Amino acid sequence: MNSKIQRSLAVMSAAALVFGVATTSTTSAQAAPKKLYIAYQGPLSGGEASTGIDEINAVKYAVKLFNAANKAKFNVQVVAVDDQGDPAVASTVAPGTGSNKKIIGLVGPAYSGATIASLPYYKAGGLALISPSATRVSLTDPKSPDFGGPVFHRVVATDDKQGPALAKYATSKVNSPKVFVFDDQSAYAVPLRGYVEAAMKTMSGTTLVGGDSVPNTTTDFAPTLAKIKTSGANVVIYTGYYSQAAVFVKQLRDSGSTAIFAGGDGVFNQQFSVLAGASAEGSRLTGVAGLADVGAKQEAAFKKSMGISSGVYAVESFDAANIFLAGIKAGITDRAKMLKWVTAFKGTGIGGATLSFNANGDIAVGGFSGFTVTSGLLKNTGPVK
Amino acid sequence: MFAVLIDQFWSLTIAGVALGFIYVLISLGYTMVYGVLRMINFANSEIFMWGTFGTVITNRDIFHYTQLSDPAKGWKLALVLISALLMSMFVAALTAVFVEFVAYRRLRAKGTNRLATLISAIGISIALQEVMRLLTASRPVGSPRVLEKIILTEVWGANIRLDTVITIIAAAIIYFLLERFIKLSRMGKAIRAVSQNEDAAKLMGVNLNRVITMTFLVGGLATGAAGFFYVTVFEYTKFNIGFTMGLAAFTAAVLGGIGNIRGAFLGGLSLGLLETYASAVLGTQWKAVTVFIVLVSVLLFKPNGLFGEAVQQTRA
Repeated sequence: MNSKIQRSLAVMSAAALVFGVATTSTTSAQAAPKKLYIAYQGPLSGGEASTGIDEINAVKYAVKLFNAANKAKFNVQVVAVDDQGDPAVASTVAPGTGSNKKIIGLVGPAYSGATIASLPYYKAGGLALISPSATRVSLTDPKSPDFGGPVFHRVVATDDKQGPALAKYATSKVNSPKVFVFDDQSAYAVPLRGYVEAAMKTMSGTTLVGGDSVPNTTTDFAPTLAKIKTSGANVVIYTGYYSQAAVFVKQLRDSGSTAIFAGGDGVFNQQFSVLAGASAEGSRLTGVAGLADVGAKQEAAFKKSMGISSGVYAVESFDAANIFLAGIKAGITDRAKMLKWVTAFKGTGIGGATLSFNANGDIAVGGFSGFTVTSGLLKNTGPVK
Repeated sequence: MFAVLIDQFWSLTIAGVALGFIYVLISLGYTMVYGVLRMINFANSEIFMWGTFGTVITNRDIFHYTQLSDPAKGWKLALVLISALLMSMFVAALTAVFVEFVAYRRLRAKGTNRLATLISAIGISIALQEVMRLLTASRPVGSPRVLEKIILTEVWGANIRLDTVITIIAAAIIYFLLERFIKLSRMGKAIRAVSQNEDAAKLMGVNLNRVITMTFLVGGLATGAAGFFYVTVFEYTKFNIGFTMGLAAFTAAVLGGIGNIRGAFLGGLSLGLLETYASAVLGTQWKAVTVFIVLVSVLLFKPNGLFGEAVQQTRA
């Protein structure tokens, strides 16, 4: 499909939704349960659609549970806003959503670029936003032109949060930790290593004893192991991805080292322990818990209710929707009060994460959970505090 | 800066030699074909990659080892290791002969220029990699641990591990056998004859096609053995590992003097040591830079590599 047609379809569908909202609300004004609207914005068509579909399913699931529990009082509907993850499309669908006052809160936008394009309309409309997945640091940087305050909030933590969480989790309960940090030279791993090392400087008793930067095609880690041995490190942190981490941790154990091995959400993958076998035992990983990590029971309930398994950012999307739903339950029916509610919100997410926002709209507490490889499984030890 | 090198000199040296031997075996695949055809077999990296899967399949599917099972011991260990080695050599040799048939033979018979075979070799190399990518769903494949990595002894502060010892000794034996084969056997002599003068060899009654197939086969056997050692040491393979290892082995072949079997040996060992020392002293991020600076410097003074291209004379 050519992009023009795609774009105009997106506009049309958004318009139809907005129109639909307007018409249905008039007919149901006098109905017993109060009808209220929250929106979801993200890629629901195009190349990035799977992310958006995974997210909106979690939002719909939260709303479904809420409506079932409050049948007599509320009937909340989810308005789908498709921006295809594309800033150009977002700037055409955001004005309609921004001016539709029936929508009192929006989960999203999913992508950072689309968020930046949409922000002027939502700021003008005073619509509270909670993104489950827009991670660009500048969105919550007051000095940046991309700053989304006061309307923008996010429940996803960025890597500048993960760095300190990883540093803390890797060294927790270790007596005078001596840490060796290395990366795989990727665009993800190098900045994350920077955040880990910066966090370590502020941690008393923790010393950074060495580091390395190893191409992500490496399989022979002998030189890195030699450096680790010379440095006398008792904690080794790798900021790359799981397949290399598995090869590395085997060689680390084979070299006779008993140092703690830790990694970030790039290593956080069941395949890590599958590939590394017994060598992976006790490894400490930080990651964002999926619904299946929260519990098999929750995942089964989701699948039963929605007909498919939960996907990426399911926990974040579910939590974001629940913040709005809690506001609705507290009697909020307009945008201004909802924005105040979100800004002041304090609660706990389904995965146990503390949900509250700082002055810039970022989730206040790290938002990363710690996982320890135990008998080959990634065991959730709760949020890293 | 040199603290790591001084502190860990012997363990780095042993690791470098073990890695070097894997390079030696892969670079034999490049050097053999180059010696005979005066062409680089760009598919050799993927022949290596396919060879690694021979070991994985033997360990995992024939002997049913899993990530959780205990490593093999005694005769069982010898049986599994030798089967895996033979399987990897077989798979790689078969792949190499296949490459020769598909990418080289027909084009050669038609008398096309060298660039056409170069492209067809690159083409088949991409095809081999893509097929493996699809078969493994783009995922890395782990091999169960068959050989327990026991630390045998400690020499000058360096751990001497069983897998390293096996790699070094077995690879040296395989290299030695191949060298003797080329030097002494009838087929080896025919290979050398073709490499010296194709037309004269033909006139002397050498079956050119057979010699070329044999060259690919022998190169494939060496490359496959490298695949076995790679998986035994690293217990890991993936559809895209061929590129890095192939490039390193090709560099080793050029460093030693491509087309020269002894050159491949010394080139491989020097490269293994150089990479390991450079990573330890300067940081792993400087490994590739150092290696290529050394390569270029060597080629400036010895354009044919350390041991020259005097294949025909020195070819063992």
